[in-house]
Amino acid sequence: MTLSRRQTLAALAGSVLLPALSRTAGAQTAAFRIGALNPITGAGAPYGSGMQKMIVAAAAMVNDAGGAGGRTLEVSSEDTQTQPQAAVLAAKKLIEVNKVQAILGTWASGVSLAVAPLTNDAGILLMNTSGAPALSVPPANAKGLLYRFQATNDRFGRAFAEVATKQGFKRPATMAFNNASGIGNTEGFRKAWEAKGGKVVENVVYEPNQPSYRAELQKVLAAKPDVIVMGSYLADTTIILREWFQTGETTKFIIPAWAANPDLVKALGPEVTEGLISVDSISNEGSDAFKAFDAAYQKAMGQPGLSNVYAAMTWDMVVVLALAMEAAGPNADVAAISAKLREVAGPGGKAVSTFAEGKAALKTGKIDYQGASSILDFDQYGDVTPDFSVSVVEKGKIERKYIVKL
Amino acid sequence: MDAYLIAIAIITAIYVLLALGLNLQYGLTGIVNFGHVGFFCVGAYTTAILSEHGVPLVVSFPLAAVLAMAFAWPLGLVSIRLREDYFAIVSLGFSEVVRLVATSERWLTNGVQGIAGIPKLFAGWLTGPAQSYAVLGLLVAFNALAILAMLRIVRSPFGRMIEAIRDNEEAVKALGKDPAGFKIQVLVLGAALAGLAGAVYAHYIGYISPEQFLPLITFQIWMAIIMGGVGRISGALVGAGILMLFLEGSRFLRDVMPFISEVSMASVRLGVVGLALILFTMYRPQGLMGDFTRK
Repeated sequence: MTLSRRQTLAALAGSVLLPALSRTAGAQTAAFRIGALNPITGAGAPYGSGMQKMIVAAAAMVNDAGGAGGRTLEVSSEDTQTQPQAAVLAAKKLIEVNKVQAILGTWASGVSLAVAPLTNDAGILLMNTSGAPALSVPPANAKGLLYRFQATNDRFGRAFAEVATKQGFKRPATMAFNNASGIGNTEGFRKAWEAKGGKVVENVVYEPNQPSYRAELQKVLAAKPDVIVMGSYLADTTIILREWFQTGETTKFIIPAWAANPDLVKALGPEVTEGLISVDSISNEGSDAFKAFDAAYQKAMGQPGLSNVYAAMTWDMVVVLALAMEAAGPNADVAAISAKLREVAGPGGKAVSTFAEGKAALKTGKIDYQGASSILDFDQYGDVTPDFSVSVVEKGKIERKYIVKL
Repeated sequence: MDAYLIAIAIITAIYVLLALGLNLQYGLTGIVNFGHVGFFCVGAYTTAILSEHGVPLVVSFPLAAVLAMAFAWPLGLVSIRLREDYFAIVSLGFSEVVRLVATSERWLTNGVQGIAGIPKLFAGWLTGPAQSYAVLGLLVAFNALAILAMLRIVRSPFGRMIEAIRDNEEAVKALGKDPAGFKIQVLVLGAALAGLAGAVYAHYIGYISPEQFLPLITFQIWMAIIMGGVGRISGALVGAGILMLFLEGSRFLRDVMPFISEVSMASVRLGVVGLALILFTMYRPQGLMGDFTRK
């Protein structure tokens, strides 16, 4: 009895594994394989499937335009489950079984940090949307094969400090949600603010999922700040602001836009939210690249492209990669493609906003891809510096006031 | 393909080590431990923090196991006399406390940012595939030792005593024995295995953060021993294997059936594991390797 069940299991396992093997072995060589490794489940789930669908859509667009460097793109998709261990196994599978030459779209910093050693060992590209500063430098970025399409937490902090200076605040305090991103933002702010010679009067880190944040709020307000810089999310920000309003204090708030969005205004009403300052890294909204992305996103997800800034980044990943392949010529290896990445996205060429346009322009000279997520100029660490928008809530409407460039 | 299979084998072997510990606790002694991941976490952080400060691995590895034991002992002292379902809640609470401490004590654990760049095993001597083989070899050796120890325990008077505790604790008390003392010893031994597993895990993945030590891991180990066969040493091996087959095999299902999107695959994966658990409890409650003669 036991034996027959075991045999059944083994047979099942075999039937699952074998076709996969033969498929890989029989696949054609003219394709450039990329792995879409995104947070489909877990904490990144609100963004992950949109990110993955945009990788597939952008690859299809590149293939429709005749491929890049004589090759078509072939996408294999995996789920990181927003967990390092699952991501490591998924990345191993993409590298070993699907033989991908680039992994695109890791989201959580922990996941990117865990996957980076694998892609470095294999000598392939890793394009991520994580914030952790550790990803800029060795050991994570030992070979210069990491490219980051999102602003680092440090840059967010610096943008907050710019805004605080511009608004004339003197005594800032910070409140951070206890995770890598929340603390990264407020620490980045503290560093930038102190570099300007200022002093942060209080730093409070709070645990998530509390029914009330009154104790933390009172600790911050006791230091008499004129502005509170938040590293927070929507749910906790809603509670904190409600409790702050009940105290009758007149402190101002600077809040990242993923927390200070229309949902927040709707939940709290115009009276509470009046004067809140919302800061966001902006997608390159006015650009033609964004329009192309937006159309694809609407088609795939039925929502406006503005709702998922990370999907704009994964869209750009595919386009930049394909342009670099085109620039590097037929059968270029990963190192040659990586060498061209900065060139096709960086300044000093004809500005283009789609793959087809770039492919045509490459025949005559240099190009500068202006992406959907930002203008995409990679620095020496493979990081980008997007612009930040500053909006103020007025009478229940979030009005964009000005742009901060770092 | 090789390196991928080895990666799976390594993770499976880590799960087997965890499952052996839990099997000793629940399968042989009847301790319902819902906080196994807590000891795993202690082991991982111990060796990660120590090697960050330059302590060699030969020292930090045993210390990972020792510290996990040091956490299990007081936990056992205060709570092992609780009825089994109450102990389950206490142990679950314990593992969450461990995780919250790792989240909050930033000076020690770097909080939610986690500890990155934990040195790989055998980093100085071996590279590439050879290194993975060596890690796997080490794990096989750990598992073999653990299994030998289990076999020895089962055949010893101690083994008969803990099985008697599992089957009828009141009867053991009536014989003038102290079940609590034995149960604490078992809890500590199981914790040592989990701590060791945590140490290998930390050095293999190279990055740990509190979110990797959710109670989910505990329950995956429970699934493994339930499917494999509670109280059977071979059950821990087979159960961990089946669990991995479900979790990783579903990746290949998508290569064969590309019409299932990754989003639905994530749900299918969990659904299949859940269905398997239900079928096991309905049709083979003693697990794949369990025998029919016992209850």
